[in-house]
Amino acid sequence: MDNNLIKLKPIEASPALPNLDKLCDMEAGRMSGKIFWDGDIYEQELEKIFARCWLFVAHESQIPKAGDYIATTMGEDEVLVVRQKDASIKVLINACPHRGNKVCFAEAGNARGFICNYHGWAFGTDGALRGMHESGVYEDSAFDKSQHGLREARVDSYKGLVFATFAADAPSLAEYLGPMAWYLDVILDNDEGGTEFAGGCIRSTIECNWKIAAENFVGDILHAGWTHDSAARAMLGGAVAQVSDFPESWSVNWNGHGYEFARDLVGNAAVLGESAINKYLHLQAPKAAERLGEFRSRMLGAVSSFTLFPNFSFLPGQNTMRVWQPRGPNKIELYTWVIVNKNAPQDVKDKWRRGAMMTFSPTGVFEMDDGENWEYCTKTSRGKVTRYQDLYVGLGMNTRLADTDLPGNVFKGQLNEANSRAFYQYWKDLLKAPSWADVPDRNGQLR
Amino acid sequence: MTTRVLLCQRDELTPGSLKKVPNAEVGDICVYNLEGQYYATADLCTHATASLAEGDLEDGLITCPVHWGQFDVRTGEAVTFPCEKHLRTYQIIVTDKEVFADVAKEAEEALAADLA
Amino acid sequence: MTLPNEQLVSLEETRAAEAFLLREARLLDNECWEDWLATLSEAVHYWMPGIENRRREDKLGTYSAEHMALFDDGLRDLKRRVNRFNQPSAWAENPPTRNVHLISNIEVFAGDVEGEYRVHSCFVNIRSRGLDEHYQLAGRREDVLRLEAEGLKLLKRKILIPNAMLLCKNINTFL
Repeated sequence: MDNNLIKLKPIEASPALPNLDKLCDMEAGRMSGKIFWDGDIYEQELEKIFARCWLFVAHESQIPKAGDYIATTMGEDEVLVVRQKDASIKVLINACPHRGNKVCFAEAGNARGFICNYHGWAFGTDGALRGMHESGVYEDSAFDKSQHGLREARVDSYKGLVFATFAADAPSLAEYLGPMAWYLDVILDNDEGGTEFAGGCIRSTIECNWKIAAENFVGDILHAGWTHDSAARAMLGGAVAQVSDFPESWSVNWNGHGYEFARDLVGNAAVLGESAINKYLHLQAPKAAERLGEFRSRMLGAVSSFTLFPNFSFLPGQNTMRVWQPRGPNKIELYTWVIVNKNAPQDVKDKWRRGAMMTFSPTGVFEMDDGENWEYCTKTSRGKVTRYQDLYVGLGMNTRLADTDLPGNVFKGQLNEANSRAFYQYWKDLLKAPSWADVPDRNGQLR
Repeated sequence: MTTRVLLCQRDELTPGSLKKVPNAEVGDICVYNLEGQYYATADLCTHATASLAEGDLEDGLITCPVHWGQFDVRTGEAVTFPCEKHLRTYQIIVTDKEVFADVAKEAEEALAADLA
Repeated sequence: MTLPNEQLVSLEETRAAEAFLLREARLLDNECWEDWLATLSEAVHYWMPGIENRRREDKLGTYSAEHMALFDDGLRDLKRRVNRFNQPSAWAENPPTRNVHLISNIEVFAGDVEGEYRVHSCFVNIRSRGLDEHYQLAGRREDVLRLEAEGLKLLKRKILIPNAMLLCKNINTFL
């Protein structure tokens, strides 16, 4: 861990909310819509989940050169992800330590540093305060520049994906990802050249609770056949594949992260309707097998989806990565990117960039029906009575596979809400835990 | 009393590089090698407290590391906001092995530019 | 920034281009999808780049062809989008979204080759769904219209909105 950080002032831990067990009981497979609507719960989420967990902030390819930066948020905290002169990456809170004004208003670029528009406090790309307008007048106040740099978060990366956390007591990123890294490698490490993001980021807002979107990707392929029927017919001329017909598929989770997948190689990718992409995946599979083994090589573009707790998701095949940025209990900002293998032919990369736009983006024929569902899953909880009624999360209860070599908590089939239960269980455990040390280890016990 | 101050050895700075030379009498001096030609200016930015020797030298312009204002190191001219006050320059004297500044005199380029 | 030389065309040609754009808006408001597709050239490029909030001195600018877009479509893609609207299982379109497309600031200039016109216009699109959903998008369009065998067709469209983040969940219409 870095030792040159200006220490973040710890937030005094709020006491756990009462009745969380009544609102979310994953042993019984039920929860209530109050968790999607309640403002007090949301404030605790910002404190105990978003200020505590490792959050995805950037792909290394977005900031290749010294001084390159992108602006994003961790929860509702605005941060800058900045490439340093020594090629390392820092994550700095995008707020001047004088009056709190934003020091960078662009979403991305290359900078010598960041200068606050208010009083001209000037910071290096490393966040150190280098000077102020009218610097002479500070001398009488025994002003110590070294104590007034931009605040830093802890940073670590995994195969191109950069994560940060505000929590000094958080486990290492490797521990945080646990066995899920083995599954992430399907996307991040199927080719020797690694991955990159296509240029740009599409942003949109959805009036839904962030958990509904995150849960949709953690393990809800069940909705696809029904919700996305129109999009599948539009893109393919026929219905979505019947996932229940697949000979084998799995739901795997760990500490709230979840990956649900089949091994049909091109099931997700096929909905892009681009034969060049299907061909690329077929040619790539044997190369991936050399790196990852035969089992994972069949997952590259398969019917699958993934959420890393709490709010970073992706779809293999469509190759879209996204963060569901929380903006109050009933609103998110959706940041959408496209990930491709760096060594893929340019026309294949372009087809992926356009294919993700065509399917999973605000103009995507698939996502249109998702947004509508998520908004009304949230909005119905406005009803005071409706809010307290049970929602069923029991599909696939007791379908854990004991005799498997696959890492993580492994459940039978994708049409299974085991990952959703694990997601909400971890959510509740974090809200109840005063610190990271108090978060119970439920791996091996989930149903 | 001599006004001649030793800045560096002739082969000490590669073209495009610069260094700060502490001087208690006239204030710290920054010496630059522009494609083999030496120049010297005051090291302290005229806008806010900052050492120009920590800045970037490109195309004859020194960019202050703090607010990114720029000066032409040949004439001392302040060319980019927020720097508005020109920078003091010093005449360079090069001998066989060493580079000196005459801190009593402005650079010839500065005199020619007649910025005052 | 300066604008390129622009050559006005005849009143009749100008009127034809204006009529094309206004009719197109009416077709979209009335969900006349097949008629709308028929206004497009086989070679249409329909492009709405994602808007990036970058500093003035950043050479990458506000948008670029290699970056992510909201539309970057040929005729095949636009037909696929219409195909979704036509499915009985397009759940989020039933009840329908109600649209108004307002078109203004129309300027018609000669194109690069004979029979082509460079047409600038602005739009305001208002969509409403359900009882209370209301979304408003405004922007500028730069079109190339081409006189083909069946009359004027849309060959190119570039749509620029001022928003770097959509303040709505989707764009379930054409602009």
